Amino acid sequence: MRKGLNFRDFDWLLFGIALAIAGMGIVEIYSTTAQTPLASQFQKQVYWIILGCILTLVMSQIDYRLILEHVPWLYLGSVGLLAAILFVGPRVAGTHRWLQIGGFTLQVSELVKLVIILGVAALFAERRNNAVTWGELLKLGLLAGVPGLLVALEPDLGTALTYVPIVAVGAFLAGVERRQIVTLGIAGALILPIGWHFLRPYQRARLEAFIHPKQDVQGSSYQVTQTKIAIGSGGLWGRGLGNGTQSQLGFIPVSHADAIFAAFAEERGFVGTLFVFLLYLALLLRLLDAAQTTADRAGCFVLVGFATVLFFQVAVNVGMMIGWFPITGIPLPLMSEGGSSVLFIFVGLGFAMSVKMQRFVNF
Amino acid sequence: MAPRARRTQLSFDAKPLMAKRSLILGVFLVIWSLIIVSQLYNLQVIQYVSLLKRADRQQQRTVEIAPRRGTIYDRNMHPLAMSLAVDSVYAVPSEITDPGMVAELLSPILGLDPKDLEGRFKTYRTFCWVKRKITSDQTARVRALDLKGIYFQKETKRFYPDGDLAAQVLGYVGMDDSGLGGVEYELNKQIKGQPGKVLLSTDARRQSFRATEWQGQPGENVVLTLDEDIQYIAEKTLAATVEKFHAAGGTVIVQNPNNGEILAMANQPTFDPNHYEKFPAIDRMNRAIGWIYEPGSTFKSVTVSSALNDGLAKPTELIDCQMGSIRLGGRIIHDVRDILPYERKGPLTLAQVLMYSSDVGAVKVALSLGEDRFYHHIREFGFGSKTGISLPGEEEGLLMPPRDWSGVSIGEFAIGQGVGVTPLQMVDLYSSIANGGVLIKPRIVKEVFRGQDRDVTPTSLDRRVVSDETAAEMREMLAGVVEHGTGIPAQLNGYSAGGKTGTAQKVDATGHYSHSKYVASFIGIAPIEKPAITVLVVIDTPVGAIYGTQVAAPAFKSIAEQTLRYLNVPQDNPSRSLQLISRNLAKSPQSKERDAEENLPVDAERNGVATRPIEPVSFSEWPTAVSKGTVLLDDGPMQTVPDFTGLSARRVSEECQSLGLGMDMSGSGLAVAQDPAAGTRVRAGSSVEVRFAR
Repeated sequence: MRKGLNFRDFDWLLFGIALAIAGMGIVEIYSTTAQTPLASQFQKQVYWIILGCILTLVMSQIDYRLILEHVPWLYLGSVGLLAAILFVGPRVAGTHRWLQIGGFTLQVSELVKLVIILGVAALFAERRNNAVTWGELLKLGLLAGVPGLLVALEPDLGTALTYVPIVAVGAFLAGVERRQIVTLGIAGALILPIGWHFLRPYQRARLEAFIHPKQDVQGSSYQVTQTKIAIGSGGLWGRGLGNGTQSQLGFIPVSHADAIFAAFAEERGFVGTLFVFLLYLALLLRLLDAAQTTADRAGCFVLVGFATVLFFQVAVNVGMMIGWFPITGIPLPLMSEGGSSVLFIFVGLGFAMSVKMQRFVNF
Repeated sequence: MAPRARRTQLSFDAKPLMAKRSLILGVFLVIWSLIIVSQLYNLQVIQYVSLLKRADRQQQRTVEIAPRRGTIYDRNMHPLAMSLAVDSVYAVPSEITDPGMVAELLSPILGLDPKDLEGRFKTYRTFCWVKRKITSDQTARVRALDLKGIYFQKETKRFYPDGDLAAQVLGYVGMDDSGLGGVEYELNKQIKGQPGKVLLSTDARRQSFRATEWQGQPGENVVLTLDEDIQYIAEKTLAATVEKFHAAGGTVIVQNPNNGEILAMANQPTFDPNHYEKFPAIDRMNRAIGWIYEPGSTFKSVTVSSALNDGLAKPTELIDCQMGSIRLGGRIIHDVRDILPYERKGPLTLAQVLMYSSDVGAVKVALSLGEDRFYHHIREFGFGSKTGISLPGEEEGLLMPPRDWSGVSIGEFAIGQGVGVTPLQMVDLYSSIANGGVLIKPRIVKEVFRGQDRDVTPTSLDRRVVSDETAAEMREMLAGVVEHGTGIPAQLNGYSAGGKTGTAQKVDATGHYSHSKYVASFIGIAPIEKPAITVLVVIDTPVGAIYGTQVAAPAFKSIAEQTLRYLNVPQDNPSRSLQLISRNLAKSPQSKERDAEENLPVDAERNGVATRPIEPVSFSEWPTAVSKGTVLLDDGPMQTVPDFTGLSARRVSEECQSLGLGMDMSGSGLAVAQDPAAGTRVRAGSSVEVRFAR
């Protein structure tokens, strides 16, 4: 076995792409908050990213298989923590999302994504054939469903929804059959109306605004209208840093966090959005490419699971901005302000590095 | 190590499927990215302009800062129109917490309806006027309330210090500081200036974020050719004349014939541009340029000067007036009455044709010219086209080309019928005779300036229309008209003058010549040797007296005398200044002396000026309601004279007109007596005597 740090197989390109995206995010956060009381926000983001980088480097040195063996404990701990936050945690802005550690607040639901990714990997790591039993599908459902329900009750439906693609793609990769997909689809369609019943009024309003955007321009679909105007008014080259009037004048809420893409598009134009999209694509394809050559099944599940969450968040977040999805609280990976999100991604990157760096060890 | 190796080998079986499925994921990912990027392209490139506009619309509010309108001066730099700074109140309704209360507080001060105001506060979000251009007192009281969401904006209000003086020439200015009539409209671009702009960025809470300001440019000042004093003389005389004859309206133009500058342009009815909205549109019309009328005999100057110019006639040439009637194209045109001091309706000299305004003589002169040549000359004098004066609403008149003429047309045109002209065109005609035969484009704007930057209106293309000799002969003949002919009431004290009377029937609503509606006019030039002014007086529908001689010539006399004296034009006709001197005896000793030196008739006989007292023709003997030399009139049906008692002069004249009766009126106020009495049957065309008293 190796001794000390070994960066021979560390994927510097992948790491560089992630840092480039994060860098653009920092600049955009600075731009949108410079004239507001949140002016120091970008510095916090820098600190979180520095911390994230350290974690990436540390995680890359740890054999992910050691962690896989402790997944049940991680999972139980996560569920316990989520339940604790929900029932005894502090109430911040009407929600129970935050765990307070000293001066910091941590959104545990972000880090739970990693646990679910690892859980899926662990579930299928020992399998030898390409079929998924109904029992396994049930396990997958519970894997995402239990923490998802707790998160949804916080309430944070957006984050809870990100758990779904992890298990779905996990099942897909493990060999779920068409027959099973159809059955699950029908079951889902039947459960959906019941789910509607449990939605909060503001969540229903958002959904309705999404379905009928023209009916109240100043209400819930106001946000979508404003983000579209912001993106469009950026034009080809953008209005320039600090000149994005839509975001600077407060027409876009939380333009440094969930809606950062709209602010970025307004100030950097189509050229900027195209560039950042190419970076995301490179990042995701590199993860999927690495998944082709993993040493074992578990590694493959980890990489694909991680890529799936990132892609889901990018697709949904940008989709919300252009009016294709209803507004839900899903941050844009690497760019949106938020320490927990940053930590999740960089720790995830650490796992990915670990998988890549372990691939030749066994031959 | 063994367990790991086993896992690796076992997983190897599953690899093809996983690889395949992760590849599917990759493809899905790329396709999805392409779709999103294409939508971004759609928003940011294709819909860029419209979305940018939407962004601007909600983020920006442009407030125009009205530039200060330029001042309009008369030729002596007396201001005729100026702009004063006033306040306007506006509201930003989204900032008003209690619209009902704010409306209650504001409406009594500003004289508004509180319900209406409250409604406006609820209708608009970002901006609405509360009241514009309020008084300083109102400003102080609204300011004292210190209401949230209520703001003031400095605006300018147009002020015409002389009230209705030259109102139609100056025009007026609407709420939005745009000229809506007259020079204010014609030169609006220059006078208005460039508005300044403040671009306010507003944030999502509608609060002003930052302001970018563009400086405007104040308007340019305009100097008119008008003379405030001459304008005043013209307006006073016109108003008195219109009132005296209960006329529907009238116009007076005073022009310097040597450079085309309009010194006065007066109209009745008139209006006060400070409160233009209170007057009907007809009062705001500048008749001097926008009214088409048939000039009647004043147009004979075109006929006669054309013939002179083409060498077809001489002033002394005898013309057979055929006992006062001429058959032309199946109609008979005949002279009015026994105007002629010699053999009745025998041969007249050309000068006498003009002097006594013989229609038959004029028709024969026109016939000698022939249609095409006559038409050419009419066009040359500027009829049928606009003069191009810098005023809006000018008409070009009505002039048919010869191909549309009937057999009688040439005869009608010769005596100023069947042709539509504007007063200004007629002034131009007489000015060209006055200045030696050159038609000069009339000018109303002398210069336009801002600071030291002056823009003097250049003298435009002038064209010679008749020879110098013709013009001189015409002046002499026009002097004869005033001296011995129909223009006798136009004789001036101290000055020689020439001119021509005109009386034309108006066309009534049925398209026929009216039996009771006339246009009486006089156009004259003075002094005759080197004219300093051309004066036109046109009175629309005088009641009681209808002839230019009776109605317009005295007004000419009044205006011309005052204007010439005001302009310090040396007197050239001392024989007529006796009266003036005797009146001046009452003045200060110095002025008496000076007048005496300048004006004493130093042996008038020796100077060849007629000194015999002029016996004015007794106008009252003239029939009052007979058409003056026009197409055949039928005798008309019998009519019953109505009861006029208690009616105004205007009503009486309208009634008479509708019945085809003439009227002879005296006094003013309401009708108190009439002859023949009500109920009498009379023939249409006969006249009724009506006495008015207050």
